[in-house]
Amino acid sequence: MSLLPFFQWMEALPMSHAIQSGSWYSPIIQVIHLVALAVFAGAIAIVDIRLLGRGLTTRPLAEVARDAQPWLVWGLVVLLITGIPQVTSLAMKQYYSPFFWWKMEGLVVATIFTFTLRKKVTLTDEARLGPVWGKVVGLVSITLWTGVTVGARLIGLLS
Amino acid sequence: MSLRTVFEAIASQPSSVSIRESIYGYPTLLTSHVVAMCLFAGLIAMMDLRLAGLGNLGTPCSEMQKRLFPWQMFGVFLSFSTGLLLVYGDPMRFYGNFYFWLKNILLLLAFVNMVVFHVTTYTSVAVWDRDPVPPLGARVAGLFSLALWAAIIITGRMIAYSGLVPNWWVELKLT
Repeated sequence: MSLLPFFQWMEALPMSHAIQSGSWYSPIIQVIHLVALAVFAGAIAIVDIRLLGRGLTTRPLAEVARDAQPWLVWGLVVLLITGIPQVTSLAMKQYYSPFFWWKMEGLVVATIFTFTLRKKVTLTDEARLGPVWGKVVGLVSITLWTGVTVGARLIGLLS
Repeated sequence: MSLRTVFEAIASQPSSVSIRESIYGYPTLLTSHVVAMCLFAGLIAMMDLRLAGLGNLGTPCSEMQKRLFPWQMFGVFLSFSTGLLLVYGDPMRFYGNFYFWLKNILLLLAFVNMVVFHVTTYTSVAVWDRDPVPPLGARVAGLFSLALWAAIIITGRMIAYSGLVPNWWVELKLT
C-alpha cells in the first residue's frame, strides 16, 4: 500500500496551510527543533562516551545514564512535537526526498535501540557486562543518531 | 581597508570560489557543522545543567569540567573549522547578514562568560564540588551559558532567513 494518499492528506491539513502562510512559523519551529536536538544529543553523547570507557569514568555507568535520562526523554519529546508540523507542512517534498525516508527509518531503529538494548546495557552491572559490549552499544548508538542527524539535514539541502 | 574589502578579497580567492562552486561542498560542510554542534553544544549543555543545579547532579562539577573537556575541544574544533570554511566559501553571503553578526557577538559573550566564571566562582570549586545546588555565581554562569548557546544555535539557523530582519538593518544597505 502506498503512503502517498496519507502524505497528500497531511499537506492538505489546515495546520500545514497555516504554517506555510506566515513567514515566521517555519523558522520558529526549526530553531526550537535545533535547541532540543542539542540537549538530546548531549544526553546521548555523555552516556555513549561513558559506554566507550571514556568521559565520566569515575561514576558508575548506570548513574550517568539515569542522570541523563530525563534530558534524553524530554529532548526527544520536543523534537517530535516540533518535527511533526515540519513534516506535514511540506509533506510532498518529504515524500519524494530519499533523505526523509533515510532519516525516518534511522529514527525508528535508533529509538527502539535506545529504549531497549541500550537502556538494558546501561543499567547492567559493569562487572557483568565485560569490556566489549559497552563499547559496541556506544558505537552503534553514536552511528545511528549521527545517521539520523545527517539524513535530516540533507532533506533541506539535497532533495 | 574596510571589512567589505576583506570579505570581497576572500571571495575572489580561487579556493573560496572552488568551495562555492562545488556541488557537495556546502551540504557536506553544513551537515558536519550540525553534527559538530550536537557534540559541542550538547556536552556544554550537560555541564551547564550541572552548574545551574538542574541536572547530572550526581557528578561533581569539577569532574564534569575536566572529563568532558577533551570531547568539547574536539567538538569546538570541528564546529569552528567547518564554520570558518562555510564563511570562507561564500563570504558575501555572510557580510550583510544580520544573524551572522549577532551570532558572532553571542559567541564572544559565551566566551567571556566562561572566562569570568573560571577566574571567579570556579576557583573555590573544591568547597562546593559535590553540592547538588552550587553557589549563586556558578548557577548564574550555567544559566547564562545555556541561554547564550541556545541563542547561538537559533541565530545560526536564522542566517538562512536573511529577509526576516529588523528594518534598521535593511536600511544599512550592506548587501
